[in-house]
Amino acid sequence: MRHAYLSFAGKRLAQAAVVILLAYVFTFIVVSILPGDPVTNVLRNPQNGFSEEEIQSIIAAQGLDRPVLVQLWSSLSSFLTGDLGLSLRSSRPVTTMIAEVLPSTLTLATSALTVALTLAVLIAYGTQFLPKRWGQGLLRGFPSLFLSVPSFVIGLVLIHVFGFKLGLFRVIEPDSAWATFFAAVALGIPVSARIAEVLIANLDQEARQEYAAVARSRGLGQAALFFRHLVKPSLLPVVTVVALSFGELLGDSLITEAVFGRNGVGSLVQRSVATQDLPVLQAVVSLAAAVFVLVNLLADLVYPLLDPRVTLIGPARQSPTKAVETAAPGAAA
Amino acid sequence: MTYVLSATQTSSRLGAVIRIPPGVILAFAIIALVIGWSIAPGLFTGFDPAVGVPAQKLLGPSLDHWFGTDHLGRDLYARVVHGTASSVSSAFIAVAIGLFAGGLIGLAAGFLGGWTDIVLARLVDILLAIPRFLLAVIIVTALGFHTLNAAVATGIWEVAVFARVMRAEVIKTRQATFVEAAFLAGGSRWHILLRHVLPNASRSVLPLAVLHFGLSILVIAGLAFLGYGDPPPASDWGLLIATGKNYLKWPWLVYAPALVTIATVLSVNRISRWLRKTD
Repeated sequence: MRHAYLSFAGKRLAQAAVVILLAYVFTFIVVSILPGDPVTNVLRNPQNGFSEEEIQSIIAAQGLDRPVLVQLWSSLSSFLTGDLGLSLRSSRPVTTMIAEVLPSTLTLATSALTVALTLAVLIAYGTQFLPKRWGQGLLRGFPSLFLSVPSFVIGLVLIHVFGFKLGLFRVIEPDSAWATFFAAVALGIPVSARIAEVLIANLDQEARQEYAAVARSRGLGQAALFFRHLVKPSLLPVVTVVALSFGELLGDSLITEAVFGRNGVGSLVQRSVATQDLPVLQAVVSLAAAVFVLVNLLADLVYPLLDPRVTLIGPARQSPTKAVETAAPGAAA
Repeated sequence: MTYVLSATQTSSRLGAVIRIPPGVILAFAIIALVIGWSIAPGLFTGFDPAVGVPAQKLLGPSLDHWFGTDHLGRDLYARVVHGTASSVSSAFIAVAIGLFAGGLIGLAAGFLGGWTDIVLARLVDILLAIPRFLLAVIIVTALGFHTLNAAVATGIWEVAVFARVMRAEVIKTRQATFVEAAFLAGGSRWHILLRHVLPNASRSVLPLAVLHFGLSILVIAGLAFLGYGDPPPASDWGLLIATGKNYLKWPWLVYAPALVTIATVLSVNRISRWLRKTD
């Protein structure tokens, strides 16, 4: 068992490293086929007012005069040493630019994840124990509804109702506690739907098990049954779903930050898209991919330790996430 | 605490083949209306989506203007109806790209196995590693800001999803006894692939395609919302909502296109769930 786990962990670790590197190369290729020549578009743009010597020095510093493959090699090797290069527009280190906006996005993402988990557990609890006539069926429709609403619409509705009508927060103060909370709700609701879907399916399955019937016959109350028995086995597969939803959190924060006017990684991406600041785009996208891959690696590695029922004997396809990943977009119902 | 006898379960399953639940009928009706809007928008509204009457700007919903009017006095219902074609067809293109490219990749990886499988699986891993919306944003930046390019950008992520599911299905079917029997009976690889593996594998791909049609509408609306689709004279749903957010004092400018989007995606999801259940 121990040996099996170590070889499984080694395999997954190597796989993750390969995927991160290849994602960097892929991003480089996509970014370098951007229309037009970034040098002409950005540097020779009269708006920016660079002089000819400045342009030459920037080109030399960025290595833009070298063949593409050489550029890829040098940028990949500096990426591996933690150097993300300089912004094409402001010539500031990309690492600093990201570090400036990262705390805002991290706050948003972690609060959104908290909101999503809380909401998902509440909905799942309701679907098990809310009497049918009090809208249990309605509650079961919630995940499907949440998945059908664009997150920017949720954000706008929250701003309209709680910002404009009730005056809980002002749009011009995007970092106030209430504004952050509602931004997290907007970002978290679609994520909560994915978690709730899996949680409900698992709870339904667990509630049918014999041990649940035994616990009920012993006279255990609903809440005790839920929290003491049903939640633990049902929450385990959620680890994988949460890890997968990091991609959504990272991607959709772009929209949520735009809606709530927050200054985070998402708005940095938007600014870089508008100004074709390729080094920044390259850095943010490959870092996001790295974070996503590492979070999922962690989930994969932790899962067999959390759930003693998972065995790692046999070929690599026994990897516990594979099945969930395949079925991830709502197929769990 | 539900105790269902197995007998009633089988009889209700037999009944479900004929009976379509009312929710699904409603979903089909909504989709039919949306398709009608995108094919012949002129039949559903008499107003021009691009020409406004400045004197009638920012009117609330009324019998004349079902969804009210915008800041230039244009009828919002007409703008929603005329924006349907591009919002819906772009999602269709995205799913078509994902279905065909992803289906082919999955088929090749699952059926051929070996090195083909390893190389293609890594390609899929890379696509799935980059957060979906971020991937769409950099691709649409590379291609240029048009709704069609937004559709392509959305479709590229779909390729990975369909490839992964298709591969799993093909591998499952390949191990079936009847496929083995077909091989033993002397069937060629192509014959078995087209005759046995593909039809069986594509059965579970269809509900997935419907589901991703809804998801693609959302992603493309998100791209349009950020201004990465066609510029303003167009009236994609996401773009309408983006314009409406500057006029939150007149909330129908956000709510009307948003409700249309939600109703469409919800219907698509309902149909997908129904397809999966009846299968």
